[in-house]
Amino acid sequence: MEETDFQDVLDDWFIESLNAYKDLHVYQLEHPTQVLEWTSGKTVCVGGHGASKNEILELLLPLKLFADENKGLCAERDFKVVHGGFTEGPVRCLRHVPGSRCVVTNDGLSSDLQVWSVGGDDSDVIRLTGRVEGRKRRTTKSVSGGGSRIAARLSSQVLHGAQSGDVQLTQLTSGQILYTLETTSDDPLSSLQFVSDAVFLAGASNGNVYVADTRTSAAPQLHPAPASPGESALWWTDASPRAAVLRLSSSGQAVVSDLRSPGGAVSRARLDVQSGRGDPEVGVSWAPALDGCIAVSGFGGAVQIYDTSLWATEPRDAEPLFEHRGHAVSSRSGVFVAAHVWHPERPRTLLSAASDGSVHVWDWVDQSAAGC
Amino acid sequence: MPEIKVTPLGAGQDVGRSCILVSIGGKNIMLDCGMHMGYNDDRRFPDFSYITQNGRLTEFLDCVIISHFHLDHCGALPFMSEMVGYDGPIYMTHPTKAICPILLEDFRKITVDKKGETNFFTSQMIKDCMKKVVPLNLHQTVQVDDELEIKAYYAGHVLGAAMVHIKVGLESVVYTGDYNMTPDRHLGAAWIDKCRPDVLISESTYATTIRDSKRCRERDFLKKVHESIERGGKVLIPVFALGRAQELCILLETFWERMNLKAPIYFSTGLTEKANHYYKLFITWTNQKIRKTFVQRNMFEFKHIKPFDRSYADNPGPMVVFATPGMLHAGQSLQIFKKWAGHEKNMVIMPGYCVQGTIGHKILNGQRKLEMEGRATLDVKLQVEYMSFSAHADAKGIMQLIRMAEPRNMLLVHGEAVKMEFLKGKIEQEFSVDCHMPANGETVTVTTNPSVPVDISLNLLKREMALGGTLPDPKKPRTMHGTLIMKENSLKLVSSEQALKELGLNEHQLRFTCRVPLQDPHSDPDTLHGIYLHLKSVLKGYTIQHLPDGTVMVESIVIKVSSSAEDPNTKVLLLSWSYQDEDLGSFLSTLLKKGLPSGLC
Repeated sequence: MEETDFQDVLDDWFIESLNAYKDLHVYQLEHPTQVLEWTSGKTVCVGGHGASKNEILELLLPLKLFADENKGLCAERDFKVVHGGFTEGPVRCLRHVPGSRCVVTNDGLSSDLQVWSVGGDDSDVIRLTGRVEGRKRRTTKSVSGGGSRIAARLSSQVLHGAQSGDVQLTQLTSGQILYTLETTSDDPLSSLQFVSDAVFLAGASNGNVYVADTRTSAAPQLHPAPASPGESALWWTDASPRAAVLRLSSSGQAVVSDLRSPGGAVSRARLDVQSGRGDPEVGVSWAPALDGCIAVSGFGGAVQIYDTSLWATEPRDAEPLFEHRGHAVSSRSGVFVAAHVWHPERPRTLLSAASDGSVHVWDWVDQSAAGC
Repeated sequence: MPEIKVTPLGAGQDVGRSCILVSIGGKNIMLDCGMHMGYNDDRRFPDFSYITQNGRLTEFLDCVIISHFHLDHCGALPFMSEMVGYDGPIYMTHPTKAICPILLEDFRKITVDKKGETNFFTSQMIKDCMKKVVPLNLHQTVQVDDELEIKAYYAGHVLGAAMVHIKVGLESVVYTGDYNMTPDRHLGAAWIDKCRPDVLISESTYATTIRDSKRCRERDFLKKVHESIERGGKVLIPVFALGRAQELCILLETFWERMNLKAPIYFSTGLTEKANHYYKLFITWTNQKIRKTFVQRNMFEFKHIKPFDRSYADNPGPMVVFATPGMLHAGQSLQIFKKWAGHEKNMVIMPGYCVQGTIGHKILNGQRKLEMEGRATLDVKLQVEYMSFSAHADAKGIMQLIRMAEPRNMLLVHGEAVKMEFLKGKIEQEFSVDCHMPANGETVTVTTNPSVPVDISLNLLKREMALGGTLPDPKKPRTMHGTLIMKENSLKLVSSEQALKELGLNEHQLRFTCRVPLQDPHSDPDTLHGIYLHLKSVLKGYTIQHLPDGTVMVESIVIKVSSSAEDPNTKVLLLSWSYQDEDLGSFLSTLLKKGLPSGLC
């Protein structure tokens, strides 16, 4: 695209953004990140995923974003790098351990985890303080990498595993394994999360979802993969605080079911996800403070917001409520959004990171009549 | 070992004023002389007592270099040169020289007239100070004296801002001042060549930030202006003639055109005359786009922006006005402000920092009631917006600059060391250089390792090659013999013979001769042979020859035997050696004085 045309398109988008967003911040990291993880209401961690040495950074969001009353008097629009550290390998998964200043990472090459202390000794350095061994694979079946999914809860307990048969709960301070998921299946996982203090959900990339309780050794409850037409698709899962489970396939099929009733589906939709990439790294997430809304990213250069309350039992084409195209518009060549997160409290604030190293912080305006 | 010393002047960890002392190759240089805008007393001036406890600074400093016209870099200059006392040269770029006195005078007026300060420099002092200024052009090497040379590089940031390269002999330092690595609408990005200085000194105030994009800042500006206009409000934008005014005008013009907006936009005429004048003067300091604009038309000829007349301020309906001065401390912008402050629909946008004591500073600190002249109070009901457009290098920018210049050591000033360990580690790892972070008042000493280039004569080189067989290998140092001639600034290594020839001297050989008496009954030749056998057994590994001419040679030492006619048993050994064989010669004479062992021959 010619330079002047490119600038025009970019200018157009910025002009549109005047009404489309309340706040908008655009940053360029030195190296792209695939992870965005909140470490507090105002700080977020990112990490590089190059082949060798990478950086993990903890960034403080711009003060202007949070200065609600005197917003006009605050000119601070920049990220502040409050802590930084170096890792030997890529950062493919990063989780904050709640109630602590620790984060846990996985490099996608093995199922082992690295444990980091974020500024423990009053300096600004993130230091490696330990390792957790993942369970060794029982079979040699593998789909992609070896990367573990991670979920963490209070009391420094970390749930992790690369496949459904590997999942275990490790106590970070002692290294003791407190729980293992008893299942004969070996489905590679695309997500792992706690839905309550003791209950967790393991979402497999074949669409199966396992729900288990760490207090019992009972077999997990299986929510089988939704029937999907055509070749085997990849699936991603997220559970909302209201026990709704969303599953999205690589062909755009979206299914919402209830955590408590395996096998059933509450609603369905077909999302408009034109995949230009063979193996998308998709992110789906429920909005923490906006009932029924979800965000989808990874298929291309946009982040889409959908209102699932408009979906019906019969799948129909769904229109996004909002589309953040900032990354696509600012990039000269194909770019895809590698990660996104909702702000835990501010209803319409999200962060998104793209493959070109850009990170956007945006607070979108709901311009539809019937909104979330 | 040669060393470079760097000391940021100031007290404690406070940021806000730049004044750095550098000692290099016996020269002392002051880099910037800023005022700390947060203090009202003497703490706002740098602490010159580090240089000398009392008295003038002229004999202690070889030169002063100012990087750009911002007050935190030049605000204390007249104080230093006229009140403390300095008569040496002050270097700065042409635009800085033109703009500095204007800002200093404004600043002086505010501080003295508005705040009633007494210990401050006068207008005359500013003029006297500027008389000492020697202007610099970009990329032009200037000889401060025989040994000290400086060169200015483009820094971006503001009009006329420079990074400076300082060289004494083979040691060099680069000071960045404030710089910016991304071009914007009216200035280019900083640039420097691979000059490989011993030390690169950079500000680190923004080193741990990641900057929000320029476009987002502009978007915020447009959004605010648009919202006010939509609700029928008036927007006042106080600007400094040479700041962002130009840029913001272009931005609004484009926006108005695209959105087909009708509300009027004005700029005060004082603004345009000054700005046009300076931009024309310093056209080479702006970026390509501005230069093209200038060629095509007058900088301030816009379709939607018209010159302001004071009567317009009372017109009903929405409008936008750019007016000077930038901190609302006097003049037209203050007049307009007084008229518009009382209405909530209106807005004032402050695009930059405001000095203490100005109305601008007060409203940016949230003050909603202002005391004006004649004890009148002004209720501030309009919306106050503070926007920062200033361009600074962030963490990424610092890495880019280091990559460009390839320094041997890195020095970051004005940061908190504890909060910058990560950046230090990053720089040290990626570039394998030491990264220092001195606190204010602390001196960092950097040891340099200058290579001394020496010319070697072809003859000497050939001789060395003949000895060793191959050309000198940089990995294998070799000891060699020669004479170093230092003439003016060149160093030459030649063979001793050539040196003597050049000096017109004759080479002299020193030979030592020693007579050792020996009692021996044998004939002279037999005695000599006995000596030969004796030495052969003692001095293994040495070249010992018994020559047919009646001498024994040990290396180059000659031994002869003679006897007197009267007493054939009393022999005299004649030993002769040259100065090079002094040690061996002494050893032989001592050995032979002990006589020959019996049983020989």
